[in-house]
Amino acid sequence: MALLEVRNLKKIYTTRFGRHQVQALSNVSFTVEEGEFVAIMGESGSGKTTLLNILAALDAPTSGEVLLAGRSLTSIPEKEISAFRRDQLGFVFQDFNLLDTFNLRDNIFLPLVLAGKSYKEMSARLAPIARTLGISDILDKFPYEVSGGQKQRAAVARALITHPRIVLADEPTGALDSRSSDELLNLFGEINRQGQTILMVTHSVKAASHANRVMFIKDGEVFHQIYRASRSRNEFYQQISDTLTVMATGGGRDAS
Amino acid sequence: MRRKGFFTKLALTNIRKNAQTYFPYIFASSAAVMMFYNMLYLSLSREVRAMSDSHAVRTVLGLGVWVIGIFSVILLLYINSFLIKRRKKEFGLFNILGMEKKHIARIMLIETAVTGFVCIGIGLIAGILFGKLGLLLLLRLLHMDAVFGFEIPLRAVALTVAVFGAIFLINLIYNVFQVHLSRPIELLKGSQVGEKEPPTKWLMALTGAAALGGGYYISLTVESPIAALYLFFIAVLLVIAGTYNLFTAGSIAILKLLRRNRRFYYRTGPFIAVSGMIYRMKQNAAGLASICILSTMVIVMVSSTVSLYAGLENSLRNRYIREIQVNSVGTVPAEIMERMEQAVADTVEQAGITVHNPYSLRSVTEITLQDGNAFTRLRGMTLGQADDIALLLLVTTDEYRRHEGVDADLSAGEALVHVIKGNIPGDMLDFGGYSLNIRGRVDLPNMMDGFEGQQANLPGRGYVIIMANEQELLKIRRALNPDREPQPGFEFSYYFDTKAEREAQFELVSALNSRFGELGLPAEASAREKMRDDFLSMYGVLFFLGMFLGALFILGTVLIIYYKQITEGYDDRERFAIMTKVGLSRDEIRRTIRFQVLSVFYLPLVVAVCHIAAAFPVIRKLIGGLFGMTDTWLYAACTALTILVFAVCYAMIYALTARTYYRIVR
Repeated sequence: MALLEVRNLKKIYTTRFGRHQVQALSNVSFTVEEGEFVAIMGESGSGKTTLLNILAALDAPTSGEVLLAGRSLTSIPEKEISAFRRDQLGFVFQDFNLLDTFNLRDNIFLPLVLAGKSYKEMSARLAPIARTLGISDILDKFPYEVSGGQKQRAAVARALITHPRIVLADEPTGALDSRSSDELLNLFGEINRQGQTILMVTHSVKAASHANRVMFIKDGEVFHQIYRASRSRNEFYQQISDTLTVMATGGGRDAS
Repeated sequence: MRRKGFFTKLALTNIRKNAQTYFPYIFASSAAVMMFYNMLYLSLSREVRAMSDSHAVRTVLGLGVWVIGIFSVILLLYINSFLIKRRKKEFGLFNILGMEKKHIARIMLIETAVTGFVCIGIGLIAGILFGKLGLLLLLRLLHMDAVFGFEIPLRAVALTVAVFGAIFLINLIYNVFQVHLSRPIELLKGSQVGEKEPPTKWLMALTGAAALGGGYYISLTVESPIAALYLFFIAVLLVIAGTYNLFTAGSIAILKLLRRNRRFYYRTGPFIAVSGMIYRMKQNAAGLASICILSTMVIVMVSSTVSLYAGLENSLRNRYIREIQVNSVGTVPAEIMERMEQAVADTVEQAGITVHNPYSLRSVTEITLQDGNAFTRLRGMTLGQADDIALLLLVTTDEYRRHEGVDADLSAGEALVHVIKGNIPGDMLDFGGYSLNIRGRVDLPNMMDGFEGQQANLPGRGYVIIMANEQELLKIRRALNPDREPQPGFEFSYYFDTKAEREAQFELVSALNSRFGELGLPAEASAREKMRDDFLSMYGVLFFLGMFLGALFILGTVLIIYYKQITEGYDDRERFAIMTKVGLSRDEIRRTIRFQVLSVFYLPLVVAVCHIAAAFPVIRKLIGGLFGMTDTWLYAACTALTILVFAVCYAMIYALTARTYYRIVR
């Protein structure tokens, strides 16, 4: 059974007075297996963020279903949704979303504190993750005292510390310089090799080339997908780039 | 762009769009205009001018006008600076979209003109409507008859328009400058940069605690009303300094200590609240401390004016133990005293009045400094000696026998002592070199009957010294005053009730005084009822002013808190959005918000109540010593009632603010 199963997802936004309807997702279906590293690509307005919000249970679909480990997200009652999000999902955002009022350690602890874990357990969980991410020395610093790359690594640590079933990343390299981006993407590869399932939304070809599989979304539908298989990263990069060119110049199904 | 009415339309839209912040501003301004006009109206109105002793009343009301005016300026400038800070982004956007700064200034001008017009208009109309009500209330408090008719003093209207027009003009100039000085990019960006965590200032926290402790210590230990008067201001300054330091440094120190306690800190509620409060205190400590002090002042002012008014009867009884008082001016020889007695008896009889409960006393008062059992004349003093001041009431054995019906067989060089307040050790008395043996210590239930209130408020100490005869008494007075020969004789007091009407009492008093004048007798008569009128007009107008200013200050306090909460709501919105994504549930958000808003809201009130509790002894002594109001229970009840009313107002605003805050954050 697939870890994540998305079936015929449809999302229509209605403007305030109900005159205009905007279709963000028209019909999206895909599955993600345990241990995969999937990148979702698409231009601005293609529905990437909407998709991610629905996967995160921050937004409800108009129709269709999302199953995580066989459980439908829409069937989870409102009361449990926060706990579900906290325990099953890890988030990495483009703008880090660290809280200024906490130092990095407390930022990382946040979901565990919300889950009511003891300090001892939190410390024990943090140590190996901090080592992997190379932030053991800066845990006592505040977000404004460290670089963007370090902030994003702290955010990754916060996503991983709950041992989530799946990590959802929204343009994680969007606010980083190229060196920090490379470091972060290598880390994603590393933690994926350790068995962590990752779903990343991006429009950076370079970021996508680190994944095992890339899905392309256009006009609210899954347009195409390619697997890296045994290709080198450069070859994969080239193939993603080619696919995007084809999409942009109007190839495939959607001739406009 | 140049279409007619475009700017006006834009300005009106702006006001409507910012209703959440603009409405309270308009409300506050209108209320300030109304109160200012009302107070001005009262001080100028025909009815108040027609009062018998309108001068004191008008002085107090005039003072009220000033206080309201100054407070209005501060409050409206503060709120305006808050409003413009919030709107800078909006103006930045206009600027980037191609509107010149002079166009923005024009929009601001229209906005200010509209709000100013509306506020002054509403305020004046409400002021005129409620002015009569205020007048009736004031007259009622002063026990005067209400007058019919309606009056709108043009001077009051003109002055109100001028003052508030000026305030709005200052605000406009400030706003134009604010936008003029800033660059559009800065206007748009706002303060997104992460703020530094405030450092712990242990020294400041400790000095704060010390200052507060010092202030409290003074209040709780001060003995005499004189010392209280001197030390009160020192205590107030210490408490103000202590409050500011503790709010700014102490709060952060405590929060950081809490954070260090891992078991406490790493739980959902404390985790979010403590970390948030550290930053919140950094930005708001001074504001919260000001609110705390303002609240304390409001409560003290209202409760003391209310209790003075309510305790009028008590003050009167303390000052006048009988309806009519006759006192000699200075000491007079025995034969003059007899003539005085005769004069009183004749006049009373002529007036057809019967004397009830007569009380008379022949004594000499000396104010001295006590050191153990030695007394010296008071020649100026230092603050440390305030508690050593001793009032000596010197009487003879004749007087003792007349009041108490007991013979005291004293010979020269011997004395009986009655302690009103204080303590004389040993069995000797020394008056600047002249000594007396203390033969015994006695109670004076009759002689001191009715003076309990005065005695309770005696500054320093007090003793009655009973001696063999007038010669003995004169020896003491000579020893105490070596540089001038004292005038022989006694101070003569004669007090009595008449059971007559007020007017009859007044007539009697003037008859007595003119008789004393005709006979050339150094004496004065006065009536309790006359004093009541004086007290009533003074305390009544103070009470009125206390209520009025209390209401205004509560309004101010509440608005400052409201705007603070809104600012914080916008700051916190981001934080709560992040926490929701990480897995904070809606219930937990609501609970955390409640805790934060509650603590910010009620912290100043709780501290203010502590201040008031600590200030209670010293203020009780002050209103006892200065105004003769000695009914502690009455004062306690008035204070409790004031706190209760204040807390209820506070709680209502809390409910409103918390809702607004939650709506912003969600």
